[in-house]
Order: sequence, then structure tokens, then C-alpha cells
Amino acid sequence: MRTLTALGNEAYKGLLHAWSERLQILIELPFFALFVLLLGPLLGHGRQIAAGHVHWSLSSATTTVLVLWFVPFIFFYMQVVKLFWRLLAEIQTGTIEQVYLAPLPSWLVVAAGRIVAATVETVLVAGATYGIVSPFVPIHLHWTPAALVPAAAIMISGVGLSLIVAGATLVWKRIQLVNDTVLMLVMLFSAAAVPLIAVPAWWADTARAFPLTAGIASLNNLMLDHRSISQTWGTGGLVPLMVTAAGYLAAGILAFRLGDHTAKRRGSLARY
Amino acid sequence: MTVIVLPATSTPRLVGNETLKGLQLAWRRRALLTTFVLMNGITFLGIRLLIGGGHIVTPLLAVTLPALLAYAVAQTAAMQGSGGIAEEINGGTLAQSQLCPASPQRQVLGRLTALTVEGLATAVPLALVFTLGYGVHYRLRPDVLVPAALTVLDGLGYALLIIALTVRVVSIGAITHVFGMVIQFFAGSFVPITVFPHALQFAVKFVPTTLGVQALNTTLAGRGLSAAWANGTVPWLIVHAAVSLTLGWALYARTMRRARREGGL
Repeated sequence: MRTLTALGNEAYKGLLHAWSERLQILIELPFFALFVLLLGPLLGHGRQIAAGHVHWSLSSATTTVLVLWFVPFIFFYMQVVKLFWRLLAEIQTGTIEQVYLAPLPSWLVVAAGRIVAATVETVLVAGATYGIVSPFVPIHLHWTPAALVPAAAIMISGVGLSLIVAGATLVWKRIQLVNDTVLMLVMLFSAAAVPLIAVPAWWADTARAFPLTAGIASLNNLMLDHRSISQTWGTGGLVPLMVTAAGYLAAGILAFRLGDHTAKRRGSLARY
Repeated sequence: MTVIVLPATSTPRLVGNETLKGLQLAWRRRALLTTFVLMNGITFLGIRLLIGGGHIVTPLLAVTLPALLAYAVAQTAAMQGSGGIAEEINGGTLAQSQLCPASPQRQVLGRLTALTVEGLATAVPLALVFTLGYGVHYRLRPDVLVPAALTVLDGLGYALLIIALTVRVVSIGAITHVFGMVIQFFAGSFVPITVFPHALQFAVKFVPTTLGVQALNTTLAGRGLSAAWANGTVPWLIVHAAVSLTLGWALYARTMRRARREGGL
């Protein structure tokens, strides 16, 4: 019961943070939608662009794929970025040490509050992105309850990645520039999971190790290709999906524990 | 009544001290800065492969590289500036710095100087790697330095605005990430803005570094500064840089005054 109360309190705190960050959501929304709309006609057209020719027409198929690619990334973005900044503020103000007074494991306290808030925000931002984009071009996605499985796996991987970043933050503190590029890399490499362009083999191979790729590939199988969730192997299959989610969560917990162990040993949990 | 006479502080010395502090902190984070440069290079390559359909289109790389460099300067300055002042606010040391007789604007000048060095330190290796690695041929003439310097100033104006907002807005860290993505996409590091639809081409001129990148591309293509001046890019760039620096300056003074008054330091 005490555990549930502690988790509930953390989630509530996360939601309060999300509400205080409502300005950011308002700024993000038009940008995410515009990004999805503009990126479609540019992908794979390097030579035409170099010659100064771009045909600015919206393809329903491409935009649908872009939405499917981008919405899970929004979750990753919110989970990782906001956990990082909130944790950094707690380190700087010294309140992070209070986390260790709670009966729960420190990684759980840090992750729990953020995930509820990130999910709520993502649903809002993703819904609004979908709402802004769909009047411009029809989006054809096959909605099925089975999509909740990759959605959950994506959330778990997102928590894992955010915990890795959080663990690094406890040790190195000001890693926002690195954080920025990590997210860009996650987004770029997960493009290997969707039928947008033919990526080189090395890119596709490397992408398998990235946390978002398996989830997006699985969503693509279900919501675009109308395949069953029961596919075990291959890109987007259940096994790679579960292994990625479990692997990233385990790596995240380990990285966070290593980070807080190092910071406690150095006496630098708060500030320096 | 006891009168405490505050020691006179010369502006160059104060700015110098702040710059030195900023550079020392940057040097302490050199490994992270190196990682950022490396990952930014990989990201840029990834973007080029996405747009190129799995290939690097060298002419496109050449016209988008200046935008990457401008982004690296502006985003490094904004992120490190915002992170630095947030750290001081949360740690309580910003309030201590207000005990100094110098105005907050003079103090931020030193901070900006250090951020300029840090920003250029991320951009220069990227420029060298991509220019030499892909055999990109630019016509480097002394007049390139004019748009380059103005682009840096424009980026610093943006950074100053972010630093000013950090004192006031809770979620500025995450907002800066979004602004970073806006600069990356709309200032030309994905595709040159000349291929955007006309209405968008006009709108993106308000995005930090866009005008600078346009002017840089004109001069690097060998058309000379006069061409960039004649097509209106350089005059507007001067206006843009001046406005963003003035706005940032004024906003910083205002947010600091307000924070002092309301105890928000």
C-alpha cells in the first residue's frame, strides 16, 4: 500500500510538472505537425533538391508512415528530455537526495512520476499532431488492440533509455547537448523500420540496436501491413520487440544504479 | 551610519573573469563536448542519407553544411548558456553574483564570450571533417568572414534570449530542445531553404541563423559579399542579429530585475 501511495505521489508530481510545462506543449505542437508535413516530399529526393526542384505534394501513404514513425518518437522525446531536465533541477537544488529516503528503489521513484506525465502529454501531442495533419492528407492506419503490445514495449524501452540518460546525468550533470543528439540518432536510425527509403545495410543492421526501431517496425507490421502480432522473428517480431524492451529497461536500471552509486561514492549526488 | 564603499570594477576585468570562468567550466566538460561534436557529425550524415535516399549527395552536403555549423554554434551557446544559468539559480550562486557592483548585463557579456568560444569549438571540427572528408569545394575569400561573424552574433542573440528566458520559464530546457530542432530543420541543415514553398521561405527568415546561412552560401559559392548585400540577405541579417541581441539584452535585464524583486534568483 505504501508503495502504491509513493508511486501515486510521484505520478501526481509528474503531472503537476507537465501542467507547469504546458507552454512547451503549445510550442511543440505546430512544429511536430509541420515537420511531419514537410518531411514527406523531401525524403529520398536529394538529387532533385540539389538541382533546386522539389514537388511539394502530400502523399497519403508517405504521411501515414511518417505519423507512425514520428508519434512513438514524440513519446521518447518527452520521456527522455523531461526526465533529464527534471532530474538535473533536483540535482542542482539538492532535493534528489530526498529520493533516497523513500522506501522504493531510486530508479523507480525517478522513472515512475515521469512516465505517467509523458504518456498523458504524448497522447495529447500525438492526438493533436494527428488532428492537424489529417485535414491536409488522409491517414490510413489499421487500428487494432494488438498495437498496444508494441506501444507498451516502446514505453518500456523509452523508460530504459531515459534511465540510462538519468544515470549519466547523476555522474556528469550537464549532458544536455549529448542528450539532444542521442534523441536525433534514435529518430534517424528508427527510419530503418519504416518503408520510407531504402537505407544502406549497415544502417539497417545498426538500427536494430536502437531502442525505438523494433517497436516502430512492429507497429508498421500491424497498422500498415495488417500482419498478425504473432510473428516471432524478423524486424518487428515479438522476440526482438520484447528483447529490446527488456534489454533497455535492464540497461537503464543498471546505468541508473551505477550512476547513483558513483555519485554517492564521490559525494556528488547533489550539485558537484 | 556606516558607509560601505564598493570597490570599483573595471568592465574588461569583470568580463574577462566571467569569460575565464565559462571557459574553465567548458574545459571541464571537454569530453562531453567532444561526444556532442561526434554525434552531431553522425546525425548530419544520417540526415543526408535520409534525404539522399541512402546516398550522400555532395552538392546538397555542401549547401547544408554551413547550416549545420551555424546550428552547432547557436545550439551550443543556447544549451550551455541556459544550463549554466539554471545551475547557478538552482545552486544559489546566481544570487551571490548579484552582490557584485557590476550590472547583470555586464556579467552576461563574459558569459557570452565564453559561449562563443565553446560554440566555435564545436563547429570548427565539424567543418574540417566534412569539408576535407567529402572534398567539398568552397571559394574561401576574406569576405566570407562578414556573414560568418554576423551568423555567430545572430546565434548569440538567440542564446541570450534563451538565457534570459531561463530565469523566468520553468520548462525552458525542453523548449530549447524544440527550438534546436526548429533551427536544424528550418535554417537549412536538412535542405536549403530555397526549396521551401514561398510563404515558408519568408517565414523561416525569422528563425535564428537562417539569413546567416543564406549569406554564407552566397559568399561560399564565390558570388561575393556584394551579391549577398544586393539580394538583401546581409542587410536583413544585420537587422536580425541586432534585433535578437537587443531583445535578448533587454529581456535578460528585465527578467533579472524581476527575479531580484520577487526573490526568484
